[in-house]
Amino acid sequence: MTLCIIYLSLRKLFITLSKLIYTLKTIIMSYREKENIINIFSALLITGIYSWIIYQKQLAGSIDLTDDFQKWGIVFLIYAGVSIIARIIIYIIFSIINTIATREEKIPDEDERDKLIKLKATRNSSYTFSIGFFMSILALAIGMASYWLFILFVISGVIAELIDNGSQIYYYRKGV
Amino acid sequence: MGKCNIQNNIRRLRFNADEMTQKQLADQVGASRQTIVAIEKGHYSPSLELAFRIAHVFNTTLEEVFSYDFGKD
Repeated sequence: MTLCIIYLSLRKLFITLSKLIYTLKTIIMSYREKENIINIFSALLITGIYSWIIYQKQLAGSIDLTDDFQKWGIVFLIYAGVSIIARIIIYIIFSIINTIATREEKIPDEDERDKLIKLKATRNSSYTFSIGFFMSILALAIGMASYWLFILFVISGVIAELIDNGSQIYYYRKGV
Repeated sequence: MGKCNIQNNIRRLRFNADEMTQKQLADQVGASRQTIVAIEKGHYSPSLELAFRIAHVFNTTLEEVFSYDFGKD
Protein backbone atom coordinates (compact mmCIF):
# COMPACT_ATOMS: atom_id res chain seq x y z
CA MET A 1 0.00 0.00 0.00
CA THR A 2 2.76 2.43 1.04
CA LEU A 3 4.84 1.47 -2.01
CA CYS A 4 1.80 2.06 -4.20
CA ILE A 5 1.34 5.56 -2.73
CA ILE A 6 5.05 6.34 -3.21
CA TYR A 7 4.90 5.06 -6.81
CA LEU A 8 1.79 7.15 -7.57
CA SER A 9 3.32 10.26 -5.93
CA LEU A 10 6.56 9.88 -7.90
CA ARG A 11 4.60 9.30 -11.11
CA LYS A 12 2.52 12.42 -10.48
CA LEU A 13 5.69 14.40 -9.67
CA PHE A 14 7.33 13.18 -12.88
CA ILE A 15 4.31 14.20 -14.98
CA THR A 16 4.07 17.62 -13.27
CA LEU A 17 7.79 18.25 -13.79
CA SER A 18 7.55 17.18 -17.44
CA LYS A 19 4.72 19.64 -18.02
CA LEU A 20 6.62 22.39 -16.17
CA ILE A 21 9.81 21.80 -18.18
CA TYR A 22 7.84 21.66 -21.46
CA THR A 23 6.31 25.06 -20.58
CA LEU A 24 9.74 26.45 -19.65
CA LYS A 25 11.18 25.13 -22.91
CA THR A 26 8.63 27.07 -24.94
CA ILE A 27 9.62 30.33 -23.13
CA ILE A 28 13.34 29.77 -24.01
CA MET A 29 15.31 29.77 -20.80
CA SER A 30 18.86 28.97 -19.90
CA TYR A 31 19.74 25.97 -17.75
CA ARG A 32 20.33 28.21 -14.73
CA GLU A 33 16.93 29.90 -15.01
CA LYS A 34 15.18 26.54 -15.26
CA GLU A 35 17.19 25.30 -12.28
CA ASN A 36 16.01 28.29 -10.22
CA ILE A 37 12.38 27.74 -11.17
CA ILE A 38 12.68 24.10 -10.14
CA ASN A 39 14.21 25.23 -6.82
CA ILE A 40 11.28 27.59 -6.19
CA PHE A 41 8.85 24.82 -7.13
CA SER A 42 10.52 22.28 -4.82
CA ALA A 43 10.83 24.75 -1.91
CA LEU A 44 7.10 25.50 -2.06
CA LEU A 45 6.12 21.88 -2.61
CA ILE A 46 8.28 20.32 0.12
CA THR A 47 7.60 22.99 2.76
CA GLY A 48 3.90 23.09 1.89
CA ILE A 49 3.40 19.33 2.15
CA TYR A 50 5.54 18.97 5.28
CA SER A 51 3.84 21.90 7.05
CA TRP A 52 0.42 20.49 6.15
CA ILE A 53 1.35 17.05 7.57
CA ILE A 54 2.66 18.60 10.80
CA TYR A 55 -0.41 20.83 11.10
CA GLN A 56 -2.71 17.82 10.66
CA LYS A 57 -0.76 15.94 13.35
CA GLN A 58 -1.08 18.93 15.65
CA LEU A 59 -4.85 19.07 15.03
CA ALA A 60 -5.18 15.33 15.60
CA GLY A 61 -3.29 15.68 18.87
CA SER A 62 -0.52 13.22 18.02
CA ILE A 63 2.07 15.96 18.65
CA ASP A 64 1.89 19.12 20.71
CA LEU A 65 4.03 21.97 19.42
CA THR A 66 2.58 24.77 21.50
CA ASP A 67 5.29 24.75 24.16
CA ASP A 68 7.53 21.77 23.48
CA PHE A 69 10.85 23.10 22.13
CA GLN A 70 12.31 19.60 21.87
CA LYS A 71 9.49 18.57 19.49
CA TRP A 72 10.19 21.65 17.38
CA GLY A 73 13.84 20.62 17.21
CA ILE A 74 12.85 17.14 16.02
CA VAL A 75 10.37 18.58 13.50
CA PHE A 76 13.09 20.88 12.10
CA LEU A 77 15.69 18.09 11.89
CA ILE A 78 13.27 15.75 10.09
CA TYR A 79 12.33 18.62 7.78
CA ALA A 80 16.01 19.18 6.94
CA GLY A 81 16.49 15.49 6.11
CA VAL A 82 13.26 15.17 4.13
CA SER A 83 14.01 18.41 2.28
CA ILE A 84 17.51 17.29 1.23
CA ILE A 85 16.31 13.87 0.02
CA ALA A 86 13.28 15.31 -1.81
CA ARG A 87 15.41 17.99 -3.48
CA ILE A 88 17.92 15.40 -4.67
CA ILE A 89 15.08 13.32 -6.17
CA ILE A 90 13.49 16.39 -7.81
CA TYR A 91 16.89 17.51 -9.15
CA ILE A 92 17.62 14.08 -10.63
CA ILE A 93 14.18 13.99 -12.31
CA PHE A 94 14.72 17.56 -13.59
CA SER A 95 18.15 16.66 -15.01
CA ILE A 96 16.76 13.57 -16.77
CA ILE A 97 13.82 15.44 -18.31
CA ASN A 98 16.00 18.41 -19.26
CA THR A 99 18.55 16.14 -20.95
CA ILE A 100 15.79 14.38 -22.89
CA ALA A 101 14.13 17.67 -23.84
CA THR A 102 17.21 19.69 -24.82
CA ARG A 103 19.57 16.81 -25.80
CA GLU A 104 22.33 18.58 -23.88
CA GLU A 105 24.10 15.99 -21.77
CA LYS A 106 26.64 18.28 -20.14
CA ILE A 107 25.55 20.65 -17.38
CA PRO A 108 27.03 24.07 -18.23
CA ASP A 109 29.96 25.11 -16.05
CA GLU A 110 29.59 28.10 -13.76
CA ASP A 111 31.37 31.16 -15.11
CA GLU A 112 32.12 34.54 -13.48
CA ARG A 113 28.66 35.97 -14.28
CA ASP A 114 26.92 32.95 -12.71
CA LYS A 115 29.04 33.35 -9.59
CA LEU A 116 28.34 37.10 -9.36
CA ILE A 117 24.59 36.51 -9.76
CA LYS A 118 24.67 33.79 -7.11
CA LEU A 119 26.54 36.09 -4.72
CA LYS A 120 24.06 38.95 -5.18
CA ALA A 121 21.12 36.57 -4.77
CA THR A 122 22.65 35.16 -1.56
CA ARG A 123 23.06 38.71 -0.26
CA ASN A 124 19.35 39.43 -0.95
CA SER A 125 18.20 36.20 0.71
CA SER A 126 20.45 36.83 3.74
CA TYR A 127 18.87 40.27 4.23
CA THR A 128 15.43 38.69 3.94
CA PHE A 129 16.20 35.98 6.48
CA SER A 130 17.75 38.55 8.83
CA ILE A 131 14.51 40.55 8.74
CA GLY A 132 12.57 37.34 9.44
CA PHE A 133 14.87 36.51 12.34
CA PHE A 134 14.44 40.01 13.77
CA MET A 135 10.64 39.72 13.43
CA SER A 136 10.58 36.39 15.24
CA ILE A 137 12.60 37.87 18.12
CA LEU A 138 10.23 40.85 18.09
CA ALA A 139 7.30 38.43 18.26
CA LEU A 140 8.77 36.98 21.46
CA ALA A 141 9.45 40.45 22.86
CA ILE A 142 5.87 41.61 22.43
CA GLY A 143 4.60 38.52 24.22
CA MET A 144 3.39 36.32 21.39
CA ALA A 145 3.36 32.55 21.96
CA SER A 146 6.79 30.90 21.72
CA TYR A 147 5.77 28.70 18.77
CA TRP A 148 5.56 31.86 16.64
CA LEU A 149 9.35 32.01 16.79
CA PHE A 150 9.57 28.74 14.86
CA ILE A 151 6.66 29.50 12.52
CA LEU A 152 8.31 32.81 11.59
CA PHE A 153 11.64 31.00 11.10
CA VAL A 154 10.00 28.66 8.58
CA ILE A 155 8.16 31.47 6.80
CA SER A 156 11.26 33.68 6.57
CA GLY A 157 13.33 30.68 5.43
CA VAL A 158 10.92 29.95 2.58
CA ILE A 159 10.66 33.63 1.61
CA ALA A 160 14.48 33.91 1.69
CA GLU A 161 14.72 30.92 -0.63
CA LEU A 162 12.15 32.44 -2.99
CA ILE A 163 14.04 35.77 -2.94
CA ASP A 164 17.32 33.91 -3.64
CA ASN A 165 16.01 32.05 -6.68
CA GLY A 166 13.73 34.90 -7.78
CA SER A 167 16.59 37.41 -7.77
CA GLN A 168 18.79 35.01 -9.72
CA ILE A 169 16.10 34.77 -12.41
CA TYR A 170 15.74 38.58 -12.33
CA TYR A 171 19.51 39.15 -12.72
CA TYR A 172 19.72 36.60 -15.54
CA ARG A 173 16.87 38.33 -17.35
CA LYS A 174 17.60 42.01 -16.65
CA GLY A 175 21.38 41.94 -16.30
CA VAL A 176 23.74 42.33 -13.40
CA MET B 1 20.81 47.20 -13.29
CA GLY B 2 20.30 47.11 -17.02
CA LYS B 3 22.52 49.03 -19.43
CA CYS B 4 26.11 49.75 -18.36
CA ASN B 5 28.56 52.42 -19.51
CA ILE B 6 30.85 49.95 -21.22
CA GLN B 7 30.29 49.67 -24.97
CA ASN B 8 31.65 46.81 -27.06
CA ASN B 9 32.28 45.78 -30.63
CA ILE B 10 32.06 42.03 -30.08
CA ARG B 11 29.27 41.54 -32.59
CA ARG B 12 31.24 43.29 -35.36
CA LEU B 13 34.45 41.48 -34.43
CA ARG B 14 32.66 38.12 -34.49
CA PHE B 15 31.27 38.91 -37.92
CA ASN B 16 34.74 39.81 -39.18
CA ALA B 17 36.17 36.60 -37.71
CA ASP B 18 34.43 34.35 -40.25
CA GLU B 19 31.05 34.92 -38.58
CA MET B 20 32.13 33.28 -35.38
CA THR B 21 29.15 32.15 -33.31
CA GLN B 22 28.53 33.25 -29.72
CA LYS B 23 28.97 29.63 -28.65
CA GLN B 24 32.38 29.39 -30.32
CA LEU B 25 33.54 32.60 -28.65
CA ALA B 26 32.14 31.44 -25.30
CA ASP B 27 34.05 28.15 -25.55
CA GLN B 28 37.29 29.91 -26.43
CA VAL B 29 37.13 32.38 -23.53
CA GLY B 30 35.77 29.89 -20.99
CA ALA B 31 32.40 31.52 -20.42
CA SER B 32 28.82 30.51 -21.14
CA ARG B 33 26.98 31.60 -24.29
CA GLN B 34 24.51 33.49 -22.08
CA THR B 35 27.38 35.55 -20.68
CA ILE B 36 28.52 36.50 -24.19
CA VAL B 37 24.92 37.43 -25.08
CA ALA B 38 24.69 39.59 -21.92
CA ILE B 39 28.03 41.32 -22.69
CA GLU B 40 27.01 42.02 -26.31
CA LYS B 41 23.69 43.48 -25.19
CA GLY B 42 25.44 45.64 -22.58
CA HIS B 43 23.70 43.88 -19.69
CA TYR B 44 26.94 42.73 -18.09
CA SER B 45 30.39 44.26 -17.69
CA PRO B 46 32.95 41.46 -17.87
CA SER B 47 35.91 41.19 -15.52
CA LEU B 48 39.23 42.50 -16.75
CA GLU B 49 40.45 38.92 -17.20
CA LEU B 50 37.51 37.93 -19.40
CA ALA B 51 37.83 41.18 -21.36
CA PHE B 52 41.50 40.41 -22.09
CA ARG B 53 40.62 36.86 -23.13
CA ILE B 54 37.99 38.15 -25.56
CA ALA B 55 40.48 40.62 -27.03
CA HIS B 56 43.03 37.82 -27.33
CA VAL B 57 40.60 35.63 -29.29
CA PHE B 58 40.16 38.42 -31.85
CA ASN B 59 43.90 39.10 -31.78
CA THR B 60 43.33 42.75 -31.00
CA THR B 61 43.68 45.28 -28.19
CA LEU B 62 41.26 45.78 -25.32
CA GLU B 63 40.38 49.29 -26.57
CA GLU B 64 39.36 47.85 -29.91
CA VAL B 65 36.83 45.57 -28.21
CA PHE B 66 35.62 47.69 -25.29
CA SER B 67 35.21 51.40 -24.72
CA TYR B 68 33.81 53.48 -21.87
CA ASP B 69 30.97 55.93 -22.52
CA PHE B 70 31.74 58.88 -20.20
CA GLY B 71 28.68 60.70 -21.57
CA LYS B 72 26.41 58.43 -19.50
CA ASP B 73 28.05 59.50 -16.19
